[in-house]
Amino acid sequence: MAALACALGTAQAADMPQPKLVRDPHYGDTLFHFYQDHYFTAVTSLMASQHFQRVSQHADEAEMLRGGLLLSYGLHREAGDVFASLLEKSASPPVRDRAWFYLAKIRYQRGFMAEALGALGRIGKQLPPELDEERVLLHANVLMATQDNAGAARVLDELAKRPEAGLYARYNLGIALIRSGDVAAGSVWLDQLGKAVSPPMPPTDEYRSLRDQANLALGYASLRDDKPEAALGYLQRVRLEGLQANKALLGYGWALAAAKKHSEALVPWTELLKRDGRDSAVLEARLAVPYSYTQLGAFGQALERYNEAIAVYGKEDAALDESVAAIRAGKLIDGLLAANPGVEMGWFSSIQQLPEMPHAGHLTDVLAQHEFQEAFKNLRDLQFLDGNLKAWQDKLAVFDDMVATRRQAYAERLPKVREQQGTAGLNALRKRRDDVAAELQRVDSEVDLEALPTDRQRALIERVKRVNDNLDALGPEAAPDAARRARLATGLLTWDLAQDHVARLWAAQKDLRIIDRELGEAIQRDAALAQAQIDEPARFDAFAKRTAELAVRIAALIPRVATLAQQQQQAAQDIAVAELVRQKERLAQYSVQARFAVAQLHDRANGSREADRAPKP
Amino acid sequence: MSAHAPFISCLRLLSACVIALSACVPAWAADAPAEAASAPAVAASAPAESASAPAAAPQRLDDRIQDVKGDVIRLNRDLLVLEEELLFPANTQVAVFVSMDVGKMFELDSLQLKLDDKLVASYLYSPLEVQALHRGGMQRVYLGNLKSGEHEVVAFFTGKGPHFRDYKRGAMLKFEKGADPKYIELRIQDSTGKLQPEFDIRVWQ
Repeated sequence: MAALACALGTAQAADMPQPKLVRDPHYGDTLFHFYQDHYFTAVTSLMASQHFQRVSQHADEAEMLRGGLLLSYGLHREAGDVFASLLEKSASPPVRDRAWFYLAKIRYQRGFMAEALGALGRIGKQLPPELDEERVLLHANVLMATQDNAGAARVLDELAKRPEAGLYARYNLGIALIRSGDVAAGSVWLDQLGKAVSPPMPPTDEYRSLRDQANLALGYASLRDDKPEAALGYLQRVRLEGLQANKALLGYGWALAAAKKHSEALVPWTELLKRDGRDSAVLEARLAVPYSYTQLGAFGQALERYNEAIAVYGKEDAALDESVAAIRAGKLIDGLLAANPGVEMGWFSSIQQLPEMPHAGHLTDVLAQHEFQEAFKNLRDLQFLDGNLKAWQDKLAVFDDMVATRRQAYAERLPKVREQQGTAGLNALRKRRDDVAAELQRVDSEVDLEALPTDRQRALIERVKRVNDNLDALGPEAAPDAARRARLATGLLTWDLAQDHVARLWAAQKDLRIIDRELGEAIQRDAALAQAQIDEPARFDAFAKRTAELAVRIAALIPRVATLAQQQQQAAQDIAVAELVRQKERLAQYSVQARFAVAQLHDRANGSREADRAPKP
Repeated sequence: MSAHAPFISCLRLLSACVIALSACVPAWAADAPAEAASAPAVAASAPAESASAPAAAPQRLDDRIQDVKGDVIRLNRDLLVLEEELLFPANTQVAVFVSMDVGKMFELDSLQLKLDDKLVASYLYSPLEVQALHRGGMQRVYLGNLKSGEHEVVAFFTGKGPHFRDYKRGAMLKFEKGADPKYIELRIQDSTGKLQPEFDIRVWQ
């Protein structure tokens, strides 16, 4: 079930709009993580950016991405809410179509087939082409799930006829037709796929594997219908080194046996016996070979081979017991976790390394099980979450210290700063500014020319004043020429001062305005500091409260994750053990059949001996 | 021959099971070839596998695990918000992003970032990261704090230029930091006219 969510994740990746122009840098940052498959970082950073309202230019795309990411983690309810909310908001038609598409997938995944069909019916024409094929496949799967195989075939038929149709559309159409009872038509589609060559088919393992599956299905279907010659044709097409090779070799032998070609049947079966002895086809071949010898009348060889088979089955049964014991002791899961650490939580983390186990060959069937893979992914996700929570726990402790330090710094330093540099200095500055303003007002109203001189003019004023004072002391008649020259100098100085007075007064008033502005800023800063004295403690309280609340949430989640990890490990081990128990049961069945055959051969031998001993007529 | 009849029918039964499997499972996509090892006729994909049993009732353990995943994701959102508000308040926050368009003329290896002549970030790029940039991602390479006023950002890009020659270029910009967060983008673009990569810095408004 979770694998479909994984597929949705993949589909979402393919579907993701690639904006030529990112209009919010934080949306681009989410895409940066998304394109590296760092889904956890992508979804959490996206949600934080949505909180700060900094992806508003990509609001719908961001929501669509969030829904897809949540879905990829199997959070169906949350993802469903996201898509439903997008639809309620009357998003643009392309967004609505994609939302309906994903809602259909969620509903299908959860088993709500009627609702899934309803959602599929709401999808318009605005779905991207790469999603449209997936829509058809989904539609067909929903119909098949409701036993409407004919309907599924009709839906797929149109898609499969398109030149660009994907392999799965053709394969699924064949399957749907066979399931709907039209075996002939279904076989045609599978046959086309089974004998197609690349090119035009893509030279990929994916295609070759699907082609092998189609041929294997056709081969066994022909065997079932008692058409061994046809089965031989289909099974011959299966690659000898592919994943289906062993099953094909086994079926090929049975087809030859069914055609009474027992000695030829020994060829594929003998080849099978050279392969991995734990494979189910190989184990079955151990019975098939002596069967052929029996048919050929080579009873001695048959008996020998049956006994060999019984011995192999016994040995394999003991090996399975050892593997089961190792799995129950936790060696499989612990080894897998150690050998395959996940960087992030996500479906894409596949098992790359096998752990050290007594019989590693047994793991092939276990690890190939979808159910086990999902259980292991969940376990690794839980391991990632545990690390994530513990890392945040450490960080929160640092945040707490940071808030406490800042609070202390504000409490101790701010009043001193205000006292030393703020209030006292500001009052003096304000008084000095008022004095300057009053003086300028007086100079302006009284037109006091001597109030704003330059340094040179000031020196001249003082010099002229000294001269005039000296002349006054000497009396008016003492130096008439000097008095005349002093009057002239005084007049010239007054003229000079009057010439620049207006400009200097304007400059002084301008300086006063600058003082006013800077003083205003200083007052504002002081007010801000005064406000900070009130606000900051409240802000620190709010931070402290938030960190405390988050710490509680983390503390509550850590044991939850640990418990679930324990249970999930147990569940994964149970799945693995169940698979091995199935293998043991199969072995037991084979073993019984081999012993039964041996007994029959002994009976036959005894019967022959008795017949030989019987008096001849 | 007759002595082996039950045995043969049993084997045929096993084979018939394989046939039934192969005839019943539609395929969807292909990304888990290992799947086919255990069930040869099943389509080669995990999604196909799930498609075969869509109506299966969810297990309680699975549900609880999904719940806890959702809780941790929401918790991470809240923690990231707290971290940003605490460490990088809006009035002093500055974030620097890296973007790249076609990127045919420049293969990015590393980046050095200086703010007011102080080295604040050095980054070595992996091929996956470069690919993510090509696809439209923008990397937030630096998040920090700056006081109000004029500042200078300088970025040095190192990599392979046209004809795979070693290539190092710089870009500089002076900007004014106000009371709002400042977002700066370092852009690497292909200039088809000059057949050279171009590097510039843009301030988001």
